[in-house]
Amino acid sequence: MECKDVSARIESYLDGELTLSDKREVEKHLPACPACQARLENLRALHVGINSLSSEHVPASLKKNIHLGLKDVTGEDNRSGNLFGWLGFSGGAMALVSVIVWAMISVTFVVPQQSRISEEIITAHVRSLLVDHATDVISTDSHTVKPWFNGKLDFSPQVKNFAAQGFALQGGRLEYINNRTSSALVYKRRAHIINVFIMRSDNAEQADSSTLISRQGFNVYQWTTNGLAYWVVSDLNKTELHEFKQLLQQS
Amino acid sequence: MLSKKDRQRFERLTMPHLSQAYNLARWLVKDPAEAEDIVQTAYMKAFEAFHHFTGNNTTAWMMTIVRNTAYNWLSKQKRNSNLISFDEILHGAEHEQEPGQYAININPEQVLHIAASKTQLAQLMARLPTEFREVLFLREIEGYSYQEITDITQVPKGTVMSRLSRARQQMQKLCLEQQKREQANGM
Repeated sequence: MECKDVSARIESYLDGELTLSDKREVEKHLPACPACQARLENLRALHVGINSLSSEHVPASLKKNIHLGLKDVTGEDNRSGNLFGWLGFSGGAMALVSVIVWAMISVTFVVPQQSRISEEIITAHVRSLLVDHATDVISTDSHTVKPWFNGKLDFSPQVKNFAAQGFALQGGRLEYINNRTSSALVYKRRAHIINVFIMRSDNAEQADSSTLISRQGFNVYQWTTNGLAYWVVSDLNKTELHEFKQLLQQS
Repeated sequence: MLSKKDRQRFERLTMPHLSQAYNLARWLVKDPAEAEDIVQTAYMKAFEAFHHFTGNNTTAWMMTIVRNTAYNWLSKQKRNSNLISFDEILHGAEHEQEPGQYAININPEQVLHIAASKTQLAQLMARLPTEFREVLFLREIEGYSYQEITDITQVPKGTVMSRLSRARQQMQKLCLEQQKREQANGM
């Protein structure tokens, strides 16, 4: 094997990817060729250096979020004390109930309406990011944000800061969605903005179980409680948004 | 519908690869928080496709999903920005060449000198184009074979080999430049 042939195989030699016969040829050539030796040493030095770069530890939050996210997919219960849990429903039964309830609601007119509102919600969310106008009242203090809505809405939205759980309140603003005035609360998770729209609901019935809609790269959670419709929208991943939704529901 | 049993089996098979998956994502997107998001999204995607997974190489399967998710994120970032990344400047047009064509004459000690400082070496590696960082991570850090890298990256073996060769050459060049800078600064 000539020098140029060895040179072309030197990396495969280093990587242990040569056939036995080629390997022997390279090893025969090496002691007689300082240039090829130097190349090999060079590559070895680089390999040792890069190989010594230590791996970063996996954050505990990632492990936990994956686990919770997977349970979310299977419909296993992530919450410790929810209504279905008290009633003694298993995760599977609960999922079944949600499917039946959802199917029943779907056959009526609710879905088209929900779909239309969810589009409005996403548009409002995007608009708030585009014009850099996420908040009219900028405060991380829930006691500042809540009173700001007084007199502007015919209901009083719950305002809580979840900074300790990694969802920091940024402020609030007013929006006009589905032909009514809505409060929009703005939270931040790392670089992701979360908008929470709260408005009066047409549906008198309680629908504590939430619906997840994924569209255009945004995740939207919707539920109704105490006559108020909640819409949570963000480009944040489903698992963390789910965590946030649970914080809101439990507050 | 995926069941609790599916979830448990999925976790048993894939969670041991979480560290590799997370580190691959970190090298690709160079942002720890985004890497977390990407890995989580990739695990969810993998779980949704779990019924279709019939192979026995869970590692390669998981790593492929993670890298594809990371590349999607990177291309989205690129679309959202009008800037030409440094990657592309350094990258230029990637063409198929025989490995071994990139030999450059530098002293092993020069490489060793830089390689001795892990922080510096990591910084230099972070400056390489994405595909080069990827192939170096898979080969030099994780020790995957050419065939396994081919499976993960879904590019032909020849491309894997030429990428690896070019990546090593770029790293050597960067090490050399770094050492020259240090010498000029009298360090």
